[in-house]
Amino acid sequence: MRYLRKFGRIVLGILKEIGDESAYNRHLVTHNRKHSGEEWRRFSEHRMKEKYANAKCC
Amino acid sequence: MNKVLSRVLWAAIAIVAAFCLAGIALNRGEPVNSMWLVVASSCTYLIGYRFYASWIAAKVMMLDEQRATPAERLRNGHDFEPTNKWIVFGHHFAAIAGPGPLVGPTLAAQFGYLPGTLWIIIGAVLGGAIQDFIILFCSIRRDGKSLGQMAKEEIGKVGGFTALITVLLIMIILLAVVALVVVNALKGSPWGTFTIAATMPIAVFMGLYLRYWRPGKVLEASLIGFLLVLASIFGGEWVAHSATYAPWFTLTGLTLAICIIAYGFLASALPVWLLLAPRDYLSTFVKLGVVLMLGIGILFLQPTLQMPPLTRFIDGTGPIFAGSIFPFCFITIACGAISGFHSLISSGTTPKMISKETHVFPVGYGSMLLESFVAIMAMIAACVLDPGVYFAVNSPAGIIGATPQAAVATITGWGFPVAADQMAALAKSVGEETLFYRTGGAPSLALGMAHIFAKGVGGDAILGFWYHFAIMFEALFILTVIDAGTRVGRFMLQDLLGQIYEPLGRTSWMPSLLFSSVVIVLSWGYFLVQGVLDPLGGINTLWPLFGIANQLLAIIALCLGTTILVKMHRARYMWITIMPLVWLVTVTFTAALQKIFSEMPRIGFLAQARVFESNIAAGKVAAAKLGEVNTLIFNNKLDAVVCGVFLVLVATILIDSIFLWIGILRGTKPVQNFETPFVQTRLSAEEI
Repeated sequence: MRYLRKFGRIVLGILKEIGDESAYNRHLVTHNRKHSGEEWRRFSEHRMKEKYANAKCC
Repeated sequence: MNKVLSRVLWAAIAIVAAFCLAGIALNRGEPVNSMWLVVASSCTYLIGYRFYASWIAAKVMMLDEQRATPAERLRNGHDFEPTNKWIVFGHHFAAIAGPGPLVGPTLAAQFGYLPGTLWIIIGAVLGGAIQDFIILFCSIRRDGKSLGQMAKEEIGKVGGFTALITVLLIMIILLAVVALVVVNALKGSPWGTFTIAATMPIAVFMGLYLRYWRPGKVLEASLIGFLLVLASIFGGEWVAHSATYAPWFTLTGLTLAICIIAYGFLASALPVWLLLAPRDYLSTFVKLGVVLMLGIGILFLQPTLQMPPLTRFIDGTGPIFAGSIFPFCFITIACGAISGFHSLISSGTTPKMISKETHVFPVGYGSMLLESFVAIMAMIAACVLDPGVYFAVNSPAGIIGATPQAAVATITGWGFPVAADQMAALAKSVGEETLFYRTGGAPSLALGMAHIFAKGVGGDAILGFWYHFAIMFEALFILTVIDAGTRVGRFMLQDLLGQIYEPLGRTSWMPSLLFSSVVIVLSWGYFLVQGVLDPLGGINTLWPLFGIANQLLAIIALCLGTTILVKMHRARYMWITIMPLVWLVTVTFTAALQKIFSEMPRIGFLAQARVFESNIAAGKVAAAKLGEVNTLIFNNKLDAVVCGVFLVLVATILIDSIFLWIGILRGTKPVQNFETPFVQTRLSAEEI
């Protein structure tokens, strides 16, 4: 059961990393900010600018 | 005792791998269960991972747990961030797994299941995974630098510039060929076209939802998006049966191509958050889910392969693409065995997330093995189809005949019996008018996947749903490759143009944005339309061109890897990268030269141009068709030039690298080390 829970946490971690939710949480912690619509928009604009400067694989 | 047990276990895995590989290689005449392929590949991957890759990690790379990674040293809370090993693994795998490992093996199945399967397994263990592993290692020891930056520093300015131009050209061919796969899957299919068209407003809805209604709730928005996409599949069925709406979504190849070109432009020019990003989230989640479903389906159902191990087309007369096993099997399957594009990912986001150097091993080498396994699953999905059906779906009308009767007669004559009634019943069961001439690999892969899924859930009654679910899955992430690729191509072009006239380099300056977007879209759009109008189906021309380009990029990556190994250890370990490099140089240069100069019109671009020219000279072309044939002549000559440019670019970097290696080994050139100095890690166990 412990391993199953750990596995579930890893799967959720992967999904949150792919979905940029983890990166957003890190951004809030690093910059000592609180979540808000404005903050998400600021974060996602910066994030996406970097993300889509790289090619997607074939 | 544990050591003895471990040795016995690994010996057993090695024996099972050898037994299964021999089983699939030597079997003739009776159907093979797909589990032979699954076990052979899994055991070979385990051996490669446990012995070859771990030896490289320990002796060659000397991965050091105590050395701080760029994620730790340059931590900024955005892209540089130490991340859990398995999360980076999943993230990296999601980034490298595109349409290539699915489409390539499906097309290469025309040789039978054996050549492609062996190349996928051996190529990945000794080539592809090594390339990804070494480039990731190089990048992590150089502050997470990109392939182009590293090539410029380690090999020279020529190398860096060549890498940049090569990547831009490869992007153009890649976008054209994947767009062609979508066009061929959707033409004349109102169900598929509606479903894919619906994903665009769904993505816009998700974008608005994330930006204004529930900011930051990406997983929630993606779940809603996925449910809406599922609903659109049912909506597509309704549209296909509607006398009013079906004609709206029954489009020709050319119309679809124009729609995709317009979409590419919009996606490149619109704000990222509105269309590109939400579609990317959705497609990545769907991709991972479907790959998992396919894996579970194959493991539980253990389907039998209908395709023989080798077909008569190993001689180079294949209907899907012309050319013999050597070299064409090895450029048709790139992403499942070795793909140059992966080196861009391994030197992109991933090195900035690795928390410990030793994680390079499972992430770099392990992810590629998993991708290779996806390619094996695609090969299985293609080969569980009746071979007659497989060839009827994938062959162009120009080869098998323009009517169903002519097509089935030709294919049956090749020794793969198929009937027009059988094809009509199959088309009806998946809700399509016809399944003939659906070149590109996506429809036959969708058929194979639908058969596997339907056996697990719902049976033949919902075969149509599963078929369109698989088409939706393929088209969704192919379109994401197109929109993201167009945008990246635009940035690269702006980067180049900025060196000529500074304002053109500013990515947010509207005239530059519009101009560069139009240039990129028209560049790949030209090749796409060329593929759509090609009487041989387009895939015959464009997929080998893409395969050559992709493998040439792998040559650049392996040149860089070898240069760094030579700088680290002189000649001692350079064979690790030289071995796949020599193979790839042989394969790609042979394929490229054949594509340009072969006397066979279906292979050689120039030979095909000459055939069209002689037809005009002999008065065999009607006046009304003259313009069209002249365009085909021009296109063939253009393809030959593009292929030649690729060769010159890569030969330049290869020769540059060889001179550098010789210079270092002879001591006539100084060894410039660009590796960042050792810094002791301060990460706690919890942070790793």
